[in-house]
Amino acid sequence: MKPRLVKSQREMEGRFEDVWVLVDDEDEVETWPDDASLQVVGSPAPRQDGAVRAGGAARYTVDVQLAGMLHALVLRAPVARCRVTGLDLDAARATPGVRAVIGPEGPLAMNGDSPLTAEPAWAGAPVAVIAADTPEAATAGLAALAPTFEALAPLDLETGLNEQRFTEDPRETVRGDPDAALAGADARVELTCETPAHVQSPLEPHAAVARWEGDSLTAWVSTQGIFDARRELARRFDLAPEQVRVISEYIGGAFGAKQGAGTEALLAAELARSTGRPVRLALGRHEEQVVGGRRAWTRQTVTLGARSDGTLAGIELAAVVDMGAGGWIFPVAEPVLSIYACENVRAMVFPVRTSLRAQNAFRAPGVVEGVTVLEQAMDELAAALGLDPLELRRRNHIDTDQGSGLPYSSKRLLACYDRAAELAGWDGRDALREPHADGLLRGMGCATQIWWGGGGPPAHATVRLDSEARAQVTTGIQDIGTGTLTSARMVAAEELGLPLERVFALGGDTLPNVYSPVSGGSMTTPAVMPAVRSAAGKVRRILLSLAADVLEISADDLELSGGRIRSRDGALDLDVVEVTGKLGNATIDGSGARGPNPEGFRVNTFGCQIAQVAVDPGTGVVRVERVVAVHDVGRIVNPLAASSQAEGGVLQGIGYALSEELVIDPTTGFPVNGHFDDYKVPTIADTPEIVVDFVNVPDANLPNLGAKGLGEPPIVPTAAAIANAFAHATGRRTSAVPLTPARVLEALA
Amino acid sequence: MPVSIEVNGEAHVLDVEPTRRLLAVLRDDLALTGTKHGCGEGACGACAVLLDGRPVASCLLPVASADGCAVTTIEGLARHGTALQEAFVAEDALQCGFCTPGQIVSATALLESTPRPSREEIRTAMAGNICRCGAYPKIERAILRASGQDTA
Repeated sequence: MKPRLVKSQREMEGRFEDVWVLVDDEDEVETWPDDASLQVVGSPAPRQDGAVRAGGAARYTVDVQLAGMLHALVLRAPVARCRVTGLDLDAARATPGVRAVIGPEGPLAMNGDSPLTAEPAWAGAPVAVIAADTPEAATAGLAALAPTFEALAPLDLETGLNEQRFTEDPRETVRGDPDAALAGADARVELTCETPAHVQSPLEPHAAVARWEGDSLTAWVSTQGIFDARRELARRFDLAPEQVRVISEYIGGAFGAKQGAGTEALLAAELARSTGRPVRLALGRHEEQVVGGRRAWTRQTVTLGARSDGTLAGIELAAVVDMGAGGWIFPVAEPVLSIYACENVRAMVFPVRTSLRAQNAFRAPGVVEGVTVLEQAMDELAAALGLDPLELRRRNHIDTDQGSGLPYSSKRLLACYDRAAELAGWDGRDALREPHADGLLRGMGCATQIWWGGGGPPAHATVRLDSEARAQVTTGIQDIGTGTLTSARMVAAEELGLPLERVFALGGDTLPNVYSPVSGGSMTTPAVMPAVRSAAGKVRRILLSLAADVLEISADDLELSGGRIRSRDGALDLDVVEVTGKLGNATIDGSGARGPNPEGFRVNTFGCQIAQVAVDPGTGVVRVERVVAVHDVGRIVNPLAASSQAEGGVLQGIGYALSEELVIDPTTGFPVNGHFDDYKVPTIADTPEIVVDFVNVPDANLPNLGAKGLGEPPIVPTAAAIANAFAHATGRRTSAVPLTPARVLEALA
Repeated sequence: MPVSIEVNGEAHVLDVEPTRRLLAVLRDDLALTGTKHGCGEGACGACAVLLDGRPVASCLLPVASADGCAVTTIEGLARHGTALQEAFVAEDALQCGFCTPGQIVSATALLESTPRPSREEIRTAMAGNICRCGAYPKIERAILRASGQDTA
């Protein structure tokens, strides 16, 4: 059939939207069977750009240096809510080396709302921006602004909740009759826990460099979404898409915080427009910690009612979310709605407006928060029923998404429980509670992971094979550190039957106009890799057809692997270059598009983590000694990078569980710990033994690859497993995460 | 004030403000951008360089303090390729890679003083280098591998 447009559904972090999808039968490839003997996919491969990164040669946005480039600095609100009462723009303009000063009144070349304001409504809101020849001159210009502010009382959470100051209407999702179910339950537990404001803290801050050439703009942006950034810049500066080129070749971490162009690229482009010179705007560390974003603080109360056999009769969740200035309400209710079988559920979410920047995405936004509290309540329920915590979870297993009524495309969570229990020594966990010679209290806890991660269209790729049988894969992937470009290289190499070193994958540049989605929602692997494989499949078919002509044999009788073309009867065996060499300067090109998601399923990822902790009852210090992480994300493309993703997710979860918490000064509304010495992210000294395993069975209902995303799943259950291990060790719970020494001592008192 | 420093074996006499940080001079004046500005407060290790063989936070060091010293950056180490760099790649001891130059500089100093460090010695020596992606388990393995030890 000819190419056609088909209505399909795509999902991003639990939001579903209908999209038109270009369906081309030429894109279809046979799904690799579970037992296919693959040469490249499924075997560990180092990153294709590892040596560049390890040699200091990778050019991140903050490393871009252009002739005549100016350095920009932003004046920010020093308290959360205030009015600017004085701003000496002229003095700043008169400062030696200062080339441009823009205040809240503009003027701006860009359309739409100014990113600058004279009435800041959140801590660190931008007030003015300066571009100067050197960073030192920009600093001097900033001082010359001599701003004065009238401070206003910050909007605090508790008042906001009492006065119902919401960013949008509270949400209530109900199914069945939760009140009756909870009232009639054989066992009932209620647990309230606060979860912290959790700062993404990428080591490379938000940054952009902008350069105009005539009416064309090139922007280097540290972003997870180069195409979103291009669209935003084109719209703001009234340009056609091809007049904007966004480059994001290397990104020093993002974790959800770096979406679209960001204020940085908008202001850099504005300043570059008005000065006629390239401009760099990079946040300092303190700015990054204060305005870069955060996972929202929550306070959740979960009530569980169960029958005597442990099956859940009813669930209620009331979640208060500190939204700051707003943003999308992340799916904090998803865990109570979907992890366990339960017909009677009520989930209420209260999005309170406060004087922080709008909360934004941080790796598995919403679901980390929800799981952290629900899974603690599940352990309390297990204790109330006298059931093993893992057994309680098994008894509430369900293979259907209860919101939509659709079956999961695949779900091997029970296998995750079994494998995690085996690797962790779960059956012997009560022996950990015996007294230890070192005086520490030990325990072991588990938690379940759910997340999406099925990806979807649109995503495109092109593959170009040259006469030396070297293939270039072009994608729009921005590799934020996950290694997805290496995965693209592997998938193409597999399909082309070429050794890995003959294939290279490109991304991080909008110029080729090959679209990939934002690096978020655990969607890059499931969205882009099928497109890569389809593109490579077309090149493979052309190559075999050419080989058939050269060898005077039917293409159906030829195989391609390991860089060699062989006839199935074994009579012919030649290097692929003997065919491609005849191309001269010509190339074989193929393009591929991601097809629609399968109808009638929900695509989710699942997993189980088990943590072992040691608690010092004298100091209140909790150490994580071991974490076992077993996840079901379908086929694993690169086991080496996959284990790295899992370890990294676990470590960020450990930070969330034990030490990371943005603390706000109630009088100013401003964060007080916006530095790495007071906002404590885990170091190598905090790192436990982390044992990672995957079910690694392709999802039979996800055509082409059977692979789901892995970026987010590993952070989801870590903090809950640690809190449960703490409760197992001590018999107590803290009223808030993270489990700081102060909270632990209070809980043990 | 003229400051004489040798950077990666090359002698430089720089006419710079003596209080400018070594990191800024390396990155902005000498275009050696492999050394990263992670926090500017000496709290993350991304800016680590070797000063006469000792690891220092170049974001805190006034360039005048480096007068007469030999500075080695990641570019200097990479020029000849090192077992550490190979091990970091082979073990996947990097994700976004932003902290990696600092990690490798710190690990170089560790192996210089302790050619076969124990896991505990690695964890102590490397605790000042933050990796937000969480490559720590593999950084430990890479250092063991580069020092010819069992990584299992």
